[in-house]
Amino acid sequence: MYVLDPTAETNPEPVSRAPRLDSLHHRRIGLLSNGKASVAPLFDHLESLLRQEWKAREVLRVTKGNYSAPAEPDLIRALARCHLIFTGVGD
Amino acid sequence: MVSSTTLLSTRYEIEDERAAQDFFHEKGWTDGLPVIAPTPERVLSCLDEAGLAPDQVIGIEPVRARPITAEKAAVNAVLAGCQPSHFPVVAAILEAMCRPEFLLHGATASTGGCAVFVVVNGPVRLTLGMEPTFNVLGNSDRASAVIGRAVRLALRNVLDLRPGELDRSALGHPGKFGYCMAEDEEGSDWTPLAQLRGAPAGVSAVTVLAAGSPRQIMNEWTRVPEEILDTFAAEMRANMLHYSIWGGNYAIVVPKQLRDRLQDAGWTKQHVQQFLFERARVKKSDWARVGKRALVTVTNGDEEHAALPSPADLLVIAAGGPAGGFGAIIPPWFGHKSRAVTTGVGVCFAC
Amino acid sequence: MHDAVSLEKAGVPTVAVMTSAFEDAAALMARVCGLPGYGFAIVGHPISSAKDEELADKARQALVQAERLLLG
Repeated sequence: MYVLDPTAETNPEPVSRAPRLDSLHHRRIGLLSNGKASVAPLFDHLESLLRQEWKAREVLRVTKGNYSAPAEPDLIRALARCHLIFTGVGD
Repeated sequence: MVSSTTLLSTRYEIEDERAAQDFFHEKGWTDGLPVIAPTPERVLSCLDEAGLAPDQVIGIEPVRARPITAEKAAVNAVLAGCQPSHFPVVAAILEAMCRPEFLLHGATASTGGCAVFVVVNGPVRLTLGMEPTFNVLGNSDRASAVIGRAVRLALRNVLDLRPGELDRSALGHPGKFGYCMAEDEEGSDWTPLAQLRGAPAGVSAVTVLAAGSPRQIMNEWTRVPEEILDTFAAEMRANMLHYSIWGGNYAIVVPKQLRDRLQDAGWTKQHVQQFLFERARVKKSDWARVGKRALVTVTNGDEEHAALPSPADLLVIAAGGPAGGFGAIIPPWFGHKSRAVTTGVGVCFAC
Repeated sequence: MHDAVSLEKAGVPTVAVMTSAFEDAAALMARVCGLPGYGFAIVGHPISSAKDEELADKARQALVQAERLLLG
């Protein structure tokens, strides 16, 4: 007898990462928080480090509206002007 | 009639039904219970019953843009033990779950461990022999069992929501085997749930809710509706304090004994909704009594939270056995992040 | 992880910070989003009850890993 595969059997569209950077200094950096309470203090520490050690030119802090859902398209667009981004925290 | 050649799933040759058990278990494609081998013939019978082509998309999980095709839904329905007659209900449930407001990925991947609670209304309950009385939240009848199970197997297999993988539930609950029930429309004067939520009268429909496990209450010592419902309210408040304070779609299941008290006093579902909207409230300072003092500050202690953002957010369901002053509260997964969705079986309300 | 992949697709190199309890879920999510093997930063779990000095330490850990993940 034959049985059918119950799984999706779809392969996701392959995605390429954005190009890597040659330098981390003097950059415009985005910090995207998922909105959970403990992320803000962790990101406060991270922001300090980025300013002190990576000489960040600008640190853009944004928080998404619902930590269980993808970030709103407006936030993604706003962050797209950054040179690099941290997102967090998956817990 | 759809032919076997139009099915797209990979086929595996196995010796017999017994060999199918080991095969599906080893692949991680079952919930641990025995399965019915999803042969092309059985899958095609389901598709014919629902009038769906194999490649028809029942819904798309929005976060990963992952489609659930009729074929894949049918394979999992057969696996779960569904007969063709059960399949249109399974398809309606999966379609409802893919609506953006249900937040399917968030709800089912969450550490919070909810399951998909399903209430079936309309004539299909009778056709399928669904039993809305004894054991309605446990093990009431074949249709409820296999339909509920099909939903979970589809989540596991089509959307990769396996425990410890994308499904990060810390605890989960037994509803993850199946959490499907029928409303007792024949035993109640109340408006059926789906109709109250916008479905035309007399049409078969399903309502889905990302939900925690049921909490049972008991109050058979009064005939006063406010006192009966105060017990329900207390359980809702307890959930707000012990689990999550955020308001959303709560469901209450009211079996016959308590339902008769409410109906004898002229209380409709809307009366019940209004009463619990007003009564199921806590203050943040109440957290201090239950070990959550760390969350109470000098400024937020007086903040009042309601279990229900509006009266209509309460799903009142008439169901359960005839004896005993019991009721059940079914809380939402997490506030209003995921919203209950009602849709027709084989019919589109919005069209 | 979904947000990190969206941002990479938008052309911005991104460091997703995950706690250790989420390492395998994050790896799976990256794969299903089309970026198998995508690197991310891992810090100790949990953060919800971590003291401030522990959070400072986790921020440092994220920074160190980010350097490796972002530079070409």
